[in-house]
Amino acid sequence: MSEEDPAPAAAETPAAPETSAAAETSAATGAAVVPDAPVVLAARDLRKRYGAIEAVQGVSFEIREGETYGLLGPNGAGKTTTISMVCGLLTRDGGEVTLDGAPIDVGAVAAKAGIGYVPQELAIYPDLTARENLEFFGRLYGLGGARLKSRVVEVLALIGLTERANDRTSKYSGGMQRRLNIGIGLLHGPRLLLLDEPTVGVDPQSRNAILESIAALGRHGMAILYTTHYMEEAERLCDRIGIIDGGLIRAEGTQRELVGMMGRQDQVRLTVTGNVAGAVAAVSALDGVASAAAKDGELEILVEDASGVLPRLLDTVERAGAIIRGVDVFQPDLEAVFLHLTGRALRDSAE
Amino acid sequence: MRVAVLIAIKDLRQRFRDRSAVLIAVVAPLGLALIFSSLLGNAATFHATYVVADLDGGELATVLRQDVIGSLQTAGVADITDVRTEADARAAVDAGGTTAAFVIPAGFTRSIQAGQPVTVDIIGAQGSDLGTEIARSLAQRFGDGVVAVQLSLATVADLAGRPLDPADQSRIASVASAATPPVALVDVQAGLRQLTMATYFSASMAILFLFFSAQTGLVSLFDERRQGTLGRILAGPVRPSTILLGKILGGFATSVIAMTILVLATSALIGADWGAPVGVAALILSAIVASIGISSLVVSFTRTAEAAGAASSAVAITLGVLGGTFTPTSQAPQLLSVLTLATPHGWFLRGLGDMHGIGATAADALPSVGVLLAMGLVTGAIGMLRARRLVTPR
Repeated sequence: MSEEDPAPAAAETPAAPETSAAAETSAATGAAVVPDAPVVLAARDLRKRYGAIEAVQGVSFEIREGETYGLLGPNGAGKTTTISMVCGLLTRDGGEVTLDGAPIDVGAVAAKAGIGYVPQELAIYPDLTARENLEFFGRLYGLGGARLKSRVVEVLALIGLTERANDRTSKYSGGMQRRLNIGIGLLHGPRLLLLDEPTVGVDPQSRNAILESIAALGRHGMAILYTTHYMEEAERLCDRIGIIDGGLIRAEGTQRELVGMMGRQDQVRLTVTGNVAGAVAAVSALDGVASAAAKDGELEILVEDASGVLPRLLDTVERAGAIIRGVDVFQPDLEAVFLHLTGRALRDSAE
Repeated sequence: MRVAVLIAIKDLRQRFRDRSAVLIAVVAPLGLALIFSSLLGNAATFHATYVVADLDGGELATVLRQDVIGSLQTAGVADITDVRTEADARAAVDAGGTTAAFVIPAGFTRSIQAGQPVTVDIIGAQGSDLGTEIARSLAQRFGDGVVAVQLSLATVADLAGRPLDPADQSRIASVASAATPPVALVDVQAGLRQLTMATYFSASMAILFLFFSAQTGLVSLFDERRQGTLGRILAGPVRPSTILLGKILGGFATSVIAMTILVLATSALIGADWGAPVGVAALILSAIVASIGISSLVVSFTRTAEAAGAASSAVAITLGVLGGTFTPTSQAPQLLSVLTLATPHGWFLRGLGDMHGIGATAADALPSVGVLLAMGLVTGAIGMLRARRLVTPR
């Protein structure tokens, strides 16, 4: 198939896959995740080196039809490099990517028609209207005529820009531009939607709208690869999550599986002032403390049993010269998993 | 091709929404053409004033005066005045207002008929190099004709084995003079094909600013990269080479529209006479190819939109100056006239001039069209090969 006649990719918002008795409902999106649904994207042993730095060191994962897969990690973890290799924007030093079994690389022109790509930075034409932006990229993917018009109308409604469709996007707010950025990626109804940190720099209201839209896409059967350094986004959207750091996927699974890896650990968060660094060092040496990290006056501490270790913990912190302003004890979340796996707080790494 | 056209149409839409692009492509060249042509009026249109001192008065001297030198007056490019003596001729030149003087010596006709060498003196005014050169060329051409007649007479006399009598000489000279030359040089004087001031400045400003329009195609790749849209296109079902083609088509379409507007506007507003439409169209299209080719080559050596814009502009201005867009090459120093041939600007203006000679047609622009196309295709091919890195995933 040539680029002149790209596949009329699943132009419609895909229908929800049929569920089976074995289907499991995703807590994240509410989608029916079918374990034996066909694999849409398979990435195997992806590698990329920039000079002396190996940015991606053998990343592998699969995404099935209707599944939202999250790559959760801090800035510089290799998320964007990975997603760029997946969509053929970046050459690979090793590994392979297939979309519905067809190899994807920089020259796989026809196969790319099945991918929708939403880059981290805005990628829209400021001197064109939202409608013109959508029409241009829609035609690029082979849409035309009535089909294009109807898809533009649908997507404009989905991203809430119908009223402003004929305004130049340079006049849009940041949130509106972000929504259009996403809308362009899903206009042609791709088999696989790649979202590279689509909510960075977005106000909370727009962010919420964006996340709801993405969750809806997942419910309709689209395979989604979502990268983020926001734990709550991964928890909210993703059926499975790969925790990536230093170019490696450190762990992978559902949120429940990832948290379960930590055993019976609790997460303690202390709000402190004074000698925070000294407190971290002192706490790390305590029996029953798995790991500790500090950021912005807060100590994130993983302990085996909060009820048993908490009195000694507080005493140690105060002896180290820190003043405790607040104490919170949580069940472990993805933040705690990241801390457990890397020894660093996700928020710390992300900023 | 469909995708390339899509990209070109999108670029075109963006370009004509960009006021600065419209300013550079249309408003600036049109405005400058208006200003220059109104300020300088007809100052640069070639027109000479010659004086002729015919000290011979014979039959052949009259032919030189009336038929040869007089043809300049007939063509409307010179005024001819007769004076009686060489001193009068020199005085007229020294007094100013006279481009050059022809001095036909006494015994001119007799010497020619006797097969002896003769000399026509050309007295040129200071600073009237072009007009003097035209006068010299005319006299030379007449001299060449005389030599041909003399050769005929000598040949017949040699074959006859005796000197020819005057009746035979006259008859043979008439036959030889009437013979059609095997090679006819028509309108070989560049000065005779001068464009009017309005046409010259319209054309020179158009070709100068064409380079600014033409570069926008590839330069916009840097803008696309900066705003992330290039990556978005590359992530789609599009070959990198198609993107380059789309950019080139966009630049080509922008240039065609801008040049069309300029031709129509300068014709209507300042009376520019561009020449035969077919020839003008061919020249413009080939000039666009040349400008896009050269701009592509320049842009391919740069890494940012700013660097690309600056480098392309510097090249455009330099080529424009060398190519005679600010000064007609007929009035430029010899070196500049030669350097002009290395620029598309020079060939474009030359091509237009070639269509304005006496009896010239659109076909007279073909040599310039060919050179422009060659320039564009060679530089463009190299530029495109180098520019692939701009759209190649790394």
